[in-house]
Amino acid sequence: MTGLAVTRVGHSCHLLEIGGRTLLTDPWFTVTPTYDPGEPLAMSVAGLPALDAIVITHEHYDHCDLDALLALRDVPVIGPGTVAVRARERGWTDVRELEAWDSTTIGNVTVTATPGRHGVHEVTYVIQGGGRTVFFGGDSLLVPAFKELPGRFGAFDLALLPTNGLCVRPAGGMQVVMNATEAAELTAILRPRVAIPHHYAFTSGRLGDLMITKGDREPLAFASEVARLVPATEVRVVLPGQRVIPVSGS
Amino acid sequence: MTTTPSALRWPAAEQIDLGRAPLTVLDRDRTQPFLLLHGGAGPHSVTGFGDLLAARLNTRVLMPTHPGFAGTDRPAGLAGIPALAALYADLLDRLDVWDVTVAGNSIGGWVAAELALLGSPRVSGAVLINAVGLEVPDHPITDISGLSPAQVQALAWKDPGRVPPNPAQPGPDFAALAAYTGMTMSDPALGDRLADLDLPVKVIWGAADGIAGPDYGRAYAAAIPGATFTLIEDAGHLPQLEAPEELLAAVRAER
Repeated sequence: MTGLAVTRVGHSCHLLEIGGRTLLTDPWFTVTPTYDPGEPLAMSVAGLPALDAIVITHEHYDHCDLDALLALRDVPVIGPGTVAVRARERGWTDVRELEAWDSTTIGNVTVTATPGRHGVHEVTYVIQGGGRTVFFGGDSLLVPAFKELPGRFGAFDLALLPTNGLCVRPAGGMQVVMNATEAAELTAILRPRVAIPHHYAFTSGRLGDLMITKGDREPLAFASEVARLVPATEVRVVLPGQRVIPVSGS
Repeated sequence: MTTTPSALRWPAAEQIDLGRAPLTVLDRDRTQPFLLLHGGAGPHSVTGFGDLLAARLNTRVLMPTHPGFAGTDRPAGLAGIPALAALYADLLDRLDVWDVTVAGNSIGGWVAAELALLGSPRVSGAVLINAVGLEVPDHPITDISGLSPAQVQALAWKDPGRVPPNPAQPGPDFAALAAYTGMTMSDPALGDRLADLDLPVKVIWGAADGIAGPDYGRAYAAAIPGATFTLIEDAGHLPQLEAPEELLAAVRAER
């Protein structure tokens, strides 16, 4: 059993320390007029510690900011085919292309892609190492296949989940991200010791929020719903930069 | 009650010359900013919450460093909490900001209370977060003089396991704190003066505070006519660090 810690850099970008390795999830370091994390990032690319892998759920700008990471092209990128194409185009050579239920290893850490659903093709991940298990939900919708996760992977120490229920206004208000209630339902399936919400501070700008996206920027609804459904799980709502160390269950 | 000519809030057009053409610009700014004041833990103890407040309320948050904290200079003549409050009243004048909510934690809350009492027309309300400064004989403030930073953290945090492992500027800053408070942490005359305060005030309290407990907080709210009291269960003396979202919700709540 080795240490597990997570530090939210911003949005869905986390530094995950597991099994003696350091992984970065869904990187996003660059602000554009209609893509603003809505919170200060805990660190710049230059301030990142040495990484063992970059784990990406899908190619959207706020999850796959590979252009900001060109200095790190020696670090393996793990992602679905749609991400792998973009990584190779930018000069990455160690690209681990995973679709749902495929696995790869980084040292003694196993990264398994799990199903997901979003406006574009997306996978989620289960990351295991040092006897600890983490679910990383990117910005997926809630999908039925998540019910298989406890049977396949056992007990979860940590779940990192989107909660803003993002809807795309020009697409008839189509929902593309799970909302707080759905994230709490997923938490009740996974029953992790600690759950951390992410992907809620994002803004498309004053007009973009009115004309392009609609999302819930309040993470506390998730916390209160989890407290009702699965009180054994501790919800930690963290500002960027707060390092959380989930206590081991055994 | 302070009155202000309306024209000051709706100024006439200005001339701005960019060199290519003289521009006539009518500028309307109804931002409702915050002045967010740190306590003895230092300026970094409010930064994250200030960022959250600015982002979530789409507003402006001014976070000054009290002179003498975090390595800044404090002129020898600047001492006492009222002097700090007067300095910040001047800052609001200099920045020409209006409808300011003054918020502060610990001694920052004390400064906020003193600033509210100055009657600046620019200050429209105050949020006191685990504030000190009031003398409450039945529920005295814990004397932290002589304690180590680790002992102070054990009192201040509900879960000391959440203390950032290696903050760039560890608090509390005892020397700066002593210059403003004399380490007494209260002013016997503050209670009587607060009884005449005619501003909306929210008193918000981290429940697990070993420095100034919830009953002290209730007494603070009771000392201010019309003030509300909100308890945050999952925090100690620094709710902006232990439960920032809950604190934000309390700041935004209608009561």
